[in-house]
Amino acid sequence: MFWTVTISLLEGFLGTLKLFTLTLLFSLPLGLVISLGSMNKTPIVHIPIRFIIWVVRGTPLMLQLLIIYYGPGIFLGNNIWGSGGNGRFLAALFAFVFNYACYFSEIFRGGIQSIPVGQYEAGKVLGLTRQQIFFKVVLLQVIKRIVPPISNEVITLVKDTSLARVIAVYEIIWNGQAFIKSSGIIWPLFYTGLFYLLFSGLLTLLFGYIEKKLSYFR
Amino acid sequence: MPILEVNNIKKKFDHYNILNGISFSMEEGQAISIIGSSGSGKTTFLRCLNFLERPDEGTIVVKGEKIFDASMPPENPKQLRERRLHFGLVFQQFNLFPQYTALENVILAPRLLKDGRSEQELTDMGMDLLDQMGLADRVNQYPHQLSGGQQQRVAIARALALKPDILCFDEPTSALDPELTGEVLRVIRNLAEKKTTMIIVTHEMAFARDVADEVIFMDKGIILEKGPAEQVINNPKEERTKQFLSNLNN
Repeated sequence: MFWTVTISLLEGFLGTLKLFTLTLLFSLPLGLVISLGSMNKTPIVHIPIRFIIWVVRGTPLMLQLLIIYYGPGIFLGNNIWGSGGNGRFLAALFAFVFNYACYFSEIFRGGIQSIPVGQYEAGKVLGLTRQQIFFKVVLLQVIKRIVPPISNEVITLVKDTSLARVIAVYEIIWNGQAFIKSSGIIWPLFYTGLFYLLFSGLLTLLFGYIEKKLSYFR
Repeated sequence: MPILEVNNIKKKFDHYNILNGISFSMEEGQAISIIGSSGSGKTTFLRCLNFLERPDEGTIVVKGEKIFDASMPPENPKQLRERRLHFGLVFQQFNLFPQYTALENVILAPRLLKDGRSEQELTDMGMDLLDQMGLADRVNQYPHQLSGGQQQRVAIARALALKPDILCFDEPTSALDPELTGEVLRVIRNLAEKKTTMIIVTHEMAFARDVADEVIFMDKGIILEKGPAEQVINNPKEERTKQFLSNLNN
């Protein structure tokens, strides 16, 4: 029984990993774009963007999943996500990417704005272009500052993926819970915690390594 | 021909007039010190020379070439960068790039500007400049491993690496512990002896008197007094200058 459960949970964990990886892949760059938009000097650009960030950060991710999946069908009469597991996964991915991009954008904004203006001015008087100042002077300092808050978000994401089951996306908790009905046992559900724990432990080590790599300067 | 001619530079922030018409000229190899109380516009003036601020009025002429005219449309980024390179600026707060070693700080800009020098030539130049600053044994250290005085000397080497026509200093020792000012002032003194054209905003009166050829006293956004260093500091003509200098001595 133990091996049957372990294999099933591993399969579920693949679904978790897929959602996790794809969310990071898309939400990190999107977050950078959103952060640049929210720092834009023109109100027509930054007001709507800051409004969206407020809405996304101000409502539960679980609710966002439900609205994004069922909303188009109910309000537009058209389920844009397609049917079956793939459609549900796509909707969940969209919700996660959008939600995490908004959180990341605030981390990026904080990081970029924390760089002293003197760094930009030093770059300017040395005749560097805006791009050179950003990529050669500022960027690495920003990355160093945002590694700890990003690692926080990333570890939260590992566990947040379990919310996807509200729209029936298969992931590890879903598989663990299935044993309650099929075999009348609850320990597989508890057992899923170990998978989360091991994976977030791995991520903690990874981020610790990155922090250490960047500790050669202050 | 003067190396620098500044004509009627004016600058306003919101509704405050910070610079009310600054005009002077200087010759190649001269060192000029600008003194004056805080708020007199010294730093703003240096920032205008380095195009960190755009003057509202006035012109700047370097070696006979008019590089700035406030009545002309704003410069595009490329023009701005080219014109900036006539000047170097050493900041009060050093502003070294923390992720680069002393040597990398010095050669980063020349490398990115691709002025045709090879990597080896750049390294040699950087080592040579840091050696002149008395930092030959510090080239591979990061800014946080250096004292304030050492950091400021790296910053001077970094500014010199681009061979500016005129090197500007914005209170280069104000952020330093008193016992570290000497090493920075010594380096600037060496540069003066080598006839480096310099404009130095400073609160170190004795230093200004000994190193500068001329001293400018600024007050409320104008040049109130300008003359040979010894004369302005030891025997100022203007009442306001006397007052400023005697306040410092008390």
